[in-house]
Amino acid sequence: MAAFFRLRIVRDLLIALVVVFGVGSIAMLLAHVSPIDGFAALFDGAFGTTSEFAETLVSATALLFPALGIALAFRAGLFNIGAEGQLVLGGLAAGVAGVFVPGPPVVSIVVTLVAGAAAGGVWGGIAGWLKARFGANEVIATLMLNVVAALFATYAVDGPLHFATANEGETPLLAPTAWLPTIVPDTRLTIAILIALAVAVALRFVFNRTVFGFELRAAGEAPEAARRAGIDLRRIALLAMTYSGAIAGLGGATLVTGVLHRFNTGLSPGYGFVAIAVALVGNLEPLWICVAAFAFGILQNGALSMQAEANVPRDVINVVEGLVIIALAGRRYVASRRST
Amino acid sequence: MNALAAALVALAALTLVKATPLIFAALGGVLSERSGVVNIGLEGIMIGGAFTAVCVSGATGSPLLGALAGVVAGALLAALLAFVATRLAFDQIVAGTGLNIVALGGAAFGLVLVFGQPGASREVPAFGQTGEGVLTVLAFVLAGALALFLNGTPWGLRVRACGENPRAAAAAGIDPLRTRFWSVVAGGAIASLGGVYLSLAELDLYSDGMTAGRGFIALAAVIFGRWTPFGATGAALFFGFFSALQYTLQRAGIPSELMQALPYLAALVALAGLAGRVRAPASDGIPYIADASR
Amino acid sequence: MSEPALTLRGIRKRFGPVVAVDGVDLDLNAGEIHALVGENGAGKSTLAAIAFGAVIPDEGTVETKAVVGLVHQHFQLVDRLNVWENVLLGREPKRGWRIDAAAARERVRALAAQHGLEVDPDAVVENLPIGVQQRVELLRELERAPGVLLLDEPTASLAPTEIASFFRTITALAQAGAAVLIVTHKLQEVIDYSTRVTVMRTGRVVARYDTNATSTDEIARAMVGGEVPPLAERAPVTPRPRLVVRLAAGSFEVAAGEIVGVAGVEGNGQSALADALAGVAPYTGTIELDGVPLDDAVTPAARIAAGVRVIPQDRRDEALVLSWSVAQNVALGRHLTAPLRRGSLLDRTAELAAAQEVIERFDVRPPDPQAIVDALSGGNQQKVVVGRALGAHPKVLVAYQPTRGIDVGAATLVQSRLIEARNAGVAVLLISFELDEIFALADRVLVMCGGRFVGAFDRATVDRGRVGALMAGGH
Repeated sequence: MAAFFRLRIVRDLLIALVVVFGVGSIAMLLAHVSPIDGFAALFDGAFGTTSEFAETLVSATALLFPALGIALAFRAGLFNIGAEGQLVLGGLAAGVAGVFVPGPPVVSIVVTLVAGAAAGGVWGGIAGWLKARFGANEVIATLMLNVVAALFATYAVDGPLHFATANEGETPLLAPTAWLPTIVPDTRLTIAILIALAVAVALRFVFNRTVFGFELRAAGEAPEAARRAGIDLRRIALLAMTYSGAIAGLGGATLVTGVLHRFNTGLSPGYGFVAIAVALVGNLEPLWICVAAFAFGILQNGALSMQAEANVPRDVINVVEGLVIIALAGRRYVASRRST
Repeated sequence: MNALAAALVALAALTLVKATPLIFAALGGVLSERSGVVNIGLEGIMIGGAFTAVCVSGATGSPLLGALAGVVAGALLAALLAFVATRLAFDQIVAGTGLNIVALGGAAFGLVLVFGQPGASREVPAFGQTGEGVLTVLAFVLAGALALFLNGTPWGLRVRACGENPRAAAAAGIDPLRTRFWSVVAGGAIASLGGVYLSLAELDLYSDGMTAGRGFIALAAVIFGRWTPFGATGAALFFGFFSALQYTLQRAGIPSELMQALPYLAALVALAGLAGRVRAPASDGIPYIADASR
Repeated sequence: MSEPALTLRGIRKRFGPVVAVDGVDLDLNAGEIHALVGENGAGKSTLAAIAFGAVIPDEGTVETKAVVGLVHQHFQLVDRLNVWENVLLGREPKRGWRIDAAAARERVRALAAQHGLEVDPDAVVENLPIGVQQRVELLRELERAPGVLLLDEPTASLAPTEIASFFRTITALAQAGAAVLIVTHKLQEVIDYSTRVTVMRTGRVVARYDTNATSTDEIARAMVGGEVPPLAERAPVTPRPRLVVRLAAGSFEVAAGEIVGVAGVEGNGQSALADALAGVAPYTGTIELDGVPLDDAVTPAARIAAGVRVIPQDRRDEALVLSWSVAQNVALGRHLTAPLRRGSLLDRTAELAAAQEVIERFDVRPPDPQAIVDALSGGNQQKVVVGRALGAHPKVLVAYQPTRGIDVGAATLVQSRLIEARNAGVAVLLISFELDEIFALADRVLVMCGGRFVGAFDRATVDRGRVGALMAGGH
């Protein structure tokens, strides 16, 4: 059984690699760039120096948080396409909380991160509540909430949450006590990656060992059987979406406290959407998702170099990521569903 | 009094402008879902239609050729989703999400390749006022045609059967996979007109993110409209009205972002109010696998 | 003798690891009613689907020059469309590019009259009772003027009087020259109406008879391949009142130490009753367990905690998580209390022990707690479902079609365990569409028809004829 499982992972990994290299090459040729040069620039940008490698891990971490959140929702049978919005609002909350927060670094960091997680959790919880209370389709709900979140952040940061000390579209610099400590000097790699890995391990434990995880998985795989076995599907929907949003919000908070040290409306170049691909490639298993996040971190970070050095527009990465999602859509995670 | 009447007429006209792309997309969604395939990729199809239309119009100087090219692009994107959803029986929502990302990235990539600059294309020959009006009328005509197709023709009956119970359709000698495939492709062709309208009628260029989630609002319109062509059109008008309202109220000093959020919030409220009281086609979203053992 | 209307030669078909049909030859002649019998899992439905052309065999040939029609066991109708739309789907009469609805209605009326089947062409199928729905399915096939008509368990959802009328239609068809194949497990009907019988067991043909030269006993022995294992003994029990049910459908009680059987044709309110007891559907009325009232707001979890266990009708959709192991499925429904639950964690050791207990008591094969349930046969899956319910030592057990679609060996084992549970003091409510099962197990028999309870009998004084009449809506 374990051998079969590993075989499937390998097969899907191969499919993903074929898509990446195959489609990537075609796109590079269209851009009049040799694939060899293009991919060389990509990998050089991802691994070339210590600081570039650290930056790859930063990208991986930025993807890992929302991917874990998405996986949690997916396992519960819910499609959280709103990780982007939850992430942005989490960043906003952290960005605001972090300006005022007092005291020793431990307190500041915990407060800002909790604020981010709470904001993301509330945002995810709204979709979860709509689903639990009204049976509303969470796909459309989270998509709508994404847009509303982005609009709200843009409005708030230049409106009611505007500080005189900040530029347009940003919050002011965070209090230094709220900055996440780096683990590799002179890079942007902070303890955020350790927090993300800890969340992954914890999530795995929740799935496999806890009653909540058991009920969540049953609700996702066989909702009718779960219902008759005494599982409260509405409660699961609400909690799953809330926790999912909280993890994504936590990710946004780490971007603010670790990488940018302020909130910026351009915080996320679509991490919440790429994270869907990461969750799928990782087969919705927290530890494999870590590996997948690393792989996608290479793509994300390397793409910037690829654009700068080899003149290949970085959007080709998005095309590749989208195709990977389509190629891996064959796994029937979510019990066959209706529109509402 | 005259000022008020003028304002109302302007609002109505703006509503039509804002609703037209939604109507096209929603009609495409209705056709697809009535056959049993949920098309989350409407947003990506609109993007594909919008971008391709601009490219071809810029190259040929003819917005009409651009529009036709946009329709072809939309159909091709839909064909990818259709193939994956029918022959491969993949999860339709996951695949649709991937399609959106592909289209968005592809258009951004294309912007650099074709126009040499990211962010937006240059201005291209577009439809004038009459062209805009024709497209709006076309949207309503398509709504009627789709209703007639679904309820009065043999092929429409078969589409509906595939969406409710593909096994029954198969028992009656119909191929559910083929019916679904072509419904999705045709739906994509119709939806892409929404994108064409955005880039060649309402404006005269393509810019990153110009669809702004309209494809998703169209999905809400499909549900709100109970999966019928006229219902979806009505819902699209409703959402379009909120969009139009936003422009009008902006002048009243209310922050633009809050107003821009109105249609999306309206969609959320509609979802909450309706869910559980409407019935999707019974097999909507469920892949059909022939020869399944039970 | 002229050529057969349909010939099957050397048919083999497997679905994954399961061999459904293992080398079958069959001839079907015009004018005959040919019964294809076998237990659940013998391969008869698959063979019929292959003869129809819906399933492609791995090996072997299907030869026929006739149009073949198939009436499925589970109707393939589009619920939201009306009768004529269903009957004429794919063959719609046209006027230009539009459907000619008037011509469609007329064609359906004429066809129905021709075969003596009463039906309203404009009625929407989902509003029709099951017996009428079957007529629609039959009309759909008859519309194509089939030379070969295949019927899969056609009388499963019919009341006894409807069955007689159904066979009148079929016999007329055969006399008019059609070749009819009926897949069934109802041996009395085979004896009464068929001309030839083919018996299948585990995918092979094991016997062929001319109906007038055989008996139900001989056929049954061929189906099972030996004698049927006996049921467990019923111990003398003094029933103590336990469950009191007062619903819109009627009132009844189930005592600890008795099996109350609810007889009825499928679709007469049994699902509503089972769902009310399980707490998954709203109801008006009261259900009292040991004097404690349960109204419809009481959750399934609370009922399970109170000692009510329900075996649902559909094990694949309502009872099991197919992708999980046997152990995890046994834990489902028992995961909320000790010993399987310790605080917020699941106790793996206890889970394994519970699974082992079910595997042993119910002879689940393969006897591996980590086996994935989807790979188990239907009979073994059902044993897991029944085993986990009984293993929780419930006060009340509602068994809804507990032996649906499983082989005789597994069915007898399940029925024996139900009797043993009754002997041990469990209050058992048995809801079944198989009258034989009800009569074999029940201490008291209730009859449901049209959503209401219409009759009650003691085991000692029950009259099969009366029960049948009540099931059909008579008196």
